[in-house]
Amino acid sequence: MNNFQQTARVGLFFILGLALTWVTFETLRGGKVFKDQGYNLIAGFESLKELKEGDEVRMAGVKIGEVEKTRLAGRRAEAVLRISHQVKIKSDASAMIVMAGLIGTNYLSVTLGTEAAPDLPDGAEITTKTTPDLNSVMTQMGELGKKLETAIGDLSSALSGDGKNETGIIKKVDQLITENRENISKATANLQEITTKVNKGEGTLGRLISDPKMYDELVSTIAEIKNGASEAKTFIANAQKIVDQVKSGQGAIGALVFDQKAGDDIKVSIANLRSVSEKIARGEGSLGKLLSDESLFRDAQSIMKKADRALDGLDDTGPITAVGVVYGGLF
Amino acid sequence: MRQLNNILEGFGSTILLLFRSIGYLPSLPRQFGRFVEQCYLIGYTTLPIVAILSFFIGSVLALQAGYSMQNFGAKQFIGSLVGLSMARELGPVMVAILLAGRVGSAITAELASMKVYQEIDALVTMNIPPVRMLVMPRLAAAVVMVPVLAIIANLVGWFGGAIVSKYTNFISIDPPAYFAALRRFMEFKDVANGLIKAEVFGLGVVLVCCNIGLNTRGGPREIGASVTRAVVTSLILILVLDYFVTKALM
Repeated sequence: MNNFQQTARVGLFFILGLALTWVTFETLRGGKVFKDQGYNLIAGFESLKELKEGDEVRMAGVKIGEVEKTRLAGRRAEAVLRISHQVKIKSDASAMIVMAGLIGTNYLSVTLGTEAAPDLPDGAEITTKTTPDLNSVMTQMGELGKKLETAIGDLSSALSGDGKNETGIIKKVDQLITENRENISKATANLQEITTKVNKGEGTLGRLISDPKMYDELVSTIAEIKNGASEAKTFIANAQKIVDQVKSGQGAIGALVFDQKAGDDIKVSIANLRSVSEKIARGEGSLGKLLSDESLFRDAQSIMKKADRALDGLDDTGPITAVGVVYGGLF
Repeated sequence: MRQLNNILEGFGSTILLLFRSIGYLPSLPRQFGRFVEQCYLIGYTTLPIVAILSFFIGSVLALQAGYSMQNFGAKQFIGSLVGLSMARELGPVMVAILLAGRVGSAITAELASMKVYQEIDALVTMNIPPVRMLVMPRLAAAVVMVPVLAIIANLVGWFGGAIVSKYTNFISIDPPAYFAALRRFMEFKDVANGLIKAEVFGLGVVLVCCNIGLNTRGGPREIGASVTRAVVTSLILILVLDYFVTKALM
């Protein structure tokens, strides 16, 4: 083998090594040589649980970034998220730590938020929700178990008694039944008698069950009630229609209630009527004088008397027109 | 006491050899031919045995993991187990052991025979430092080639595990699921960790073998003894260094 071949093989081998290192790097870094710069968001939690640097951030199950850093900030834990530039997170979206498996792998789930909400800028803080982790669920289960045990114990002592002073419900019921055995058997007998009667078709209930006529009557009554209800419905519909018409200003009442012009006219008429009545009260005008001046009343009375006499004379004078009589009487 | 003295003497001379070699590093371009030759021997000719061995180590690892894990339903994590084991531990250690057995023994045998047949003395007489001509190119070649061998060992081992996981009845895990598990629990950091370890082991093995070869004294029988000593020392060094390097890189 000459020197050139040896050098070529070594070169090829070295390049192969570099290529394989590159492939491994690409595979394990998710196909990215340089991390997607993206933008940062901060998610504050009471506890980050099992969340660690490099864990995924997913939106609707799709990976959109990763946890870049975790840190303690005062009285809470913060996760700095690096989100891909292609994904915009809405300001009303919220983040929560979700368990991916039972062996302690977690990821951060981000909700979609609403379309109309503005996008969160770089460095903003995302709203977070606390989810119970397995330990807290276990603790709660333990507490629940204890409560259940206590409740069952209470129920048991209520039913069977605590063995000291209190007698249990079962014992009390037993005593009650023993003491009222006679009454209960009587009540049972009565009940049996009633059901027998009902079976035979005796009494109102029995007839209702066994008599087809009674049933027909009941059905026709119900039909009538239905009919009445339907009529009432029609009546209400008509009334509603009238009310609607009135509201829309149709018809006299409508005009009266809703037409501004008609209202104004009525006001004017009332005002006129008032001025007329005031004039009458003051004795102004013919009608006022007629009401307030006694001489006019007396003249009218004498005219009426004359008219009366003239009418009496009608039988004697033959067919004279009433106008002629009145005229004669007056003048 | 004498043995302890020998150990300390060997340790000190190895460290000195390293520093002397680093001192001759600027002369590397002038010895490019020698460097390529050593690269060829250390890297290219070692590749087949590394590939075969790592393939079967990956396969056995998957087989054993599948057998143990099927009892508690954790078969889907075989990928991550094989991946992490190969990248962090078995790949670098196995490459270093093969290097000690195949290349290290050859280096010691060559340098020991040169020493025994006074070729080294001749070089010194000609004012050619043996370290510059014989040790430095080998060290440089090891530094360049051992990580390449290690990454190939890793990948071949992973594929061996994937094939066994697919075609073994009681495992039956498809390659996509296997590699998904591998990717899920692995980072490039783990692979880089393994490559650094391989680098340290390779450097240590070549250095120890060169040192033992150059310090051979006596007749031809000593050549064989030196080779045995070099391989044994290299293996012990690999495992001792493995612990400390792993601890340091954690």
